[in-house]
Amino acid sequence: MTRPRRRGRFTRRRAGAPARPSGSSATPGPTSPATASGRSASLATAGSGSVPSATADRSLSGPETSLLATLEDILGDDGLRTGHLGRATYRRDASFLNADPLAVALPRSVEQTAHVLRACRDHGIPFTPRAAGTGLAGGATPTGEGGRRPVVVSVARMDQLRELDVPNRRAWVEPGLVNARLGKAAAAHGLRFAPDPASQIAATLGGNVATNAGGIHVLTYGVMSQHVLAVELMDADGVVHVLDGTRAEQAGLDLRGVSVGGEGTLGIVVGACLRLLPAPPAVGTLLAGFASLEAAATAVGALVVSDRLPDAVELMDARAVSLVEDYAQAGYPQDAAAVLLLEYEGLPAGVDAGVATADRLARDHGATSVVRADGPDQRARIWKGRKAVAGAIAKRAPDFYLQDVVVPRSRLGEMLDAVVAIGERERLEILTVVHAGDGNLHPFVLFDRRVEGMIDRVFAAGHDIVATALSLDGTVTGEHGVGIEKRDFLSDVFDSDDLAVQRAVRDAIEPSGLANPDKVLPTTVGCGEARMVPEGAWV
Amino acid sequence: MGVNAATHLEPTDIGEVIDAVTQARERSSALEVRGAGSVLDRLPPGDAPVLSTARLTGIVDHAPADLTVTVRAGTRLDEVRDRLAEHGQECPIEPIGEHGTTVGGRLGTALAGPRQLGAGRVRDWLLRVRFVTGAGTPATAGGVTVKDVTGFDLCRLMTGSWGTLGVITEVTLKLRPIPPHRAWYATDTPQHDLASQLYRPAAVVSTSERTHVLFEDHPDDADAQAAGAGLVPADPPVLPASARAVVDPARLAAFRADLTELDLTVAIHDQLGLCHLDGQPDALVAARAAAERHGGALLVLDPSTGLPAFGRGHAPSPLAQRVSTALDPDDVLAPWRWQR
Ligand SMILES: Cc1cc2nc3c(=O)[nH]c(=O)nc-3n(C[C@H](O)[C@H](O)[C@H](O)COP(=O)(O)OP(=O)(O)OC[C@H]3O[C@@H](n4cnc5c(N)ncnc54)[C@H](O)[C@@H]3O)c2cc1C
Repeated sequence: MTRPRRRGRFTRRRAGAPARPSGSSATPGPTSPATASGRSASLATAGSGSVPSATADRSLSGPETSLLATLEDILGDDGLRTGHLGRATYRRDASFLNADPLAVALPRSVEQTAHVLRACRDHGIPFTPRAAGTGLAGGATPTGEGGRRPVVVSVARMDQLRELDVPNRRAWVEPGLVNARLGKAAAAHGLRFAPDPASQIAATLGGNVATNAGGIHVLTYGVMSQHVLAVELMDADGVVHVLDGTRAEQAGLDLRGVSVGGEGTLGIVVGACLRLLPAPPAVGTLLAGFASLEAAATAVGALVVSDRLPDAVELMDARAVSLVEDYAQAGYPQDAAAVLLLEYEGLPAGVDAGVATADRLARDHGATSVVRADGPDQRARIWKGRKAVAGAIAKRAPDFYLQDVVVPRSRLGEMLDAVVAIGERERLEILTVVHAGDGNLHPFVLFDRRVEGMIDRVFAAGHDIVATALSLDGTVTGEHGVGIEKRDFLSDVFDSDDLAVQRAVRDAIEPSGLANPDKVLPTTVGCGEARMVPEGAWV
Repeated sequence: MGVNAATHLEPTDIGEVIDAVTQARERSSALEVRGAGSVLDRLPPGDAPVLSTARLTGIVDHAPADLTVTVRAGTRLDEVRDRLAEHGQECPIEPIGEHGTTVGGRLGTALAGPRQLGAGRVRDWLLRVRFVTGAGTPATAGGVTVKDVTGFDLCRLMTGSWGTLGVITEVTLKLRPIPPHRAWYATDTPQHDLASQLYRPAAVVSTSERTHVLFEDHPDDADAQAAGAGLVPADPPVLPASARAVVDPARLAAFRADLTELDLTVAIHDQLGLCHLDGQPDALVAARAAAERHGGALLVLDPSTGLPAFGRGHAPSPLAQRVSTALDPDDVLAPWRWQR
């Protein structure tokens, strides 16, 4: 395999160096940056009881005051949050990265959204699109540029299924519609929406489009982009561009494709047309236990090159398995060092053939147990366990930092070993779940922010995980996105020409620079950077 | 660099591609990027110098265990197919039965083959692309892993850009195992709703006489589906080749009704919204107008018709024009593309 060009040599950075890693916290709530350059440091404290007025905690510039008045006219009381508490819950997404927005706008319609964006433009104030806030890279964290605090524009109230077009197997959705709700509506017609991120009961389809989300069934069904037929993208002037990808060919430049994964930097997704698939007539789900991570990884390698690709191949290490068993009662083998969850979907003979192949390959590669789910209930429990990992962690540690890296599938075993070694070196408990068929690892680094110095080790571990993935020809994010967290790693993946071309495309689509500034592409100008760690962390 | 450097450039590496584009830019001249010509030879001839990928060839790396292959843009698809087949793998973007097409040409045009119904769009098989923009800047986007959201998704942007944004020099494609069984079936009466009655057929093509179905599946499943739908084993369909029209599949029924009024030989990919057409120029003109009325487009692939290859349905949006200008500021790369 040729290595991607990497002119910028990766260098390990400790927390506190200019490139900041991020983290995700199991304890939601208002946080404030422990240290900051000053720009984004606010003194927000939770539980102050009353909601202070917009101007109580800081002085606003003329344009800011004028913009807030305009936004109030557009949105009314109910659609605008300017006070401490109102802003506090929008300081961050599911990562630690946090900053104080100027205000939070909650438009109810595309038209209102357009008015909000025009008002921002007229006042020269940036905006940060936001949906459910389950993102893990700080994409929805309202950092501004040049000292301008952005307005968070939440699409959460635009949450309708506009049209379920059963004959044409597609759905038109508003951006705030929760992923699982579309799945449920589709199921009533024998259809399914394939992208199934573990966060699907909370994450929205607009957020899934904006992050090009993945999930458990990516191996054969592909990531979000493959399921997006059209995107309605609103630019900073409030104009909606329909980026149409419904034609099978001759469709012009695929701006739809570029907008998927734009992380809010290209404008606001105000609608999307999504592809639905027929629900599979047959499903076969297998649970296989292995005595070592290495054996499980080797089995994955064999499955991926077998003559029938599984539709899902998930790996969970022993820590993850024991953590969720109480909750899911999925029958995960508790003595195994690693468990594989495998699924084949389709017509009955193909599914049975797949299951037989997987059973044989798993045993050939040292599986200590292989069980086929005996029906929909057991199948549901098996997947419930997998999707419950993040929630169950609270039992073990108050905080976790969730990483997202990808390696070529053939390097999976090496990567898993490295994660174990990093945990030992930094004296941290790391549990790992893997979209193994895709080579996409999610190590959860467990910690307690109150322990002196621990956060530093957490960030160091995060950096080493990313550095290792890069050294194995992998990349820095497979599905959670770049946001702020991975932004400065882009120079380790791409050279300056690559980044210049990306910037040229972004600027052509979003020339105003007001849409989610400071995200995705490394900044060329040295703007003041807040160092963002969880509130109350020892550093 | 090769052959008659004024009118026909054959760079052998990315550095020579950069030189060729930069020199064209300095001379204010345009370039036509060309693969094997399996599509361009069927468009009206242009007068601009050709930048051919004929010597940018070779399979750089096939990683069977990672289900990826990295190839230079001028490599022929059939060569790639044969090499992958030795390992029981494929990238299902090749047009069945068409020879000579290069990997770069396939991705550049993104013209769909029948299997795009089951296998998904051409654009979804590209993991990483290396290209030289119209400004002469070399760039890489995407990566060799199957999941990668590191940076903006320029792989999708380059797919189907018809040589107007950059010269694709190398790509990494996603692979899959060759399905264990592959067989065409047909009914002797055309049935346009067949695609929706079957579970994920690989391809469905209807002519005025019959509907053909391709199953890529376990043989027992294929036989059961075929029996249920009254299909019998058959040869693959023969597709007309003078023109191809495409509409949003939701508009296909209405478009098909318009086509029946015209004197045309038609093969339709049900659910893909794609039609292959043969007929006299006036009928093709009418078909193009009908496609455009339905929000679609029609590409003429037979220069003897005297018709322009592209029509109003291909006109780029203002946003698309802005992106083109960003990557090709001096209109070096086939600036006439959508007008001829
Ligand atoms: C426990 C847990 C498990 C997860 N599992 C997965 C997984 O399996 N796979 C996966 O891919 N991700 C996963 N995630 C990450 C997250 O759920 C996804 O990134 C999701 O797509 C974010 O959706 P959201 O609605 O929460 O968006 P937000 O977090 O609100 O926003 C995410 C990004 O999109 C932008 N954005 C949001 N809405 C819009 C819009 N309408 N227009 C333009 N930009 C917008 C924001 O600015 C931000 O950059 C997980 C997260 C958690 C907490």
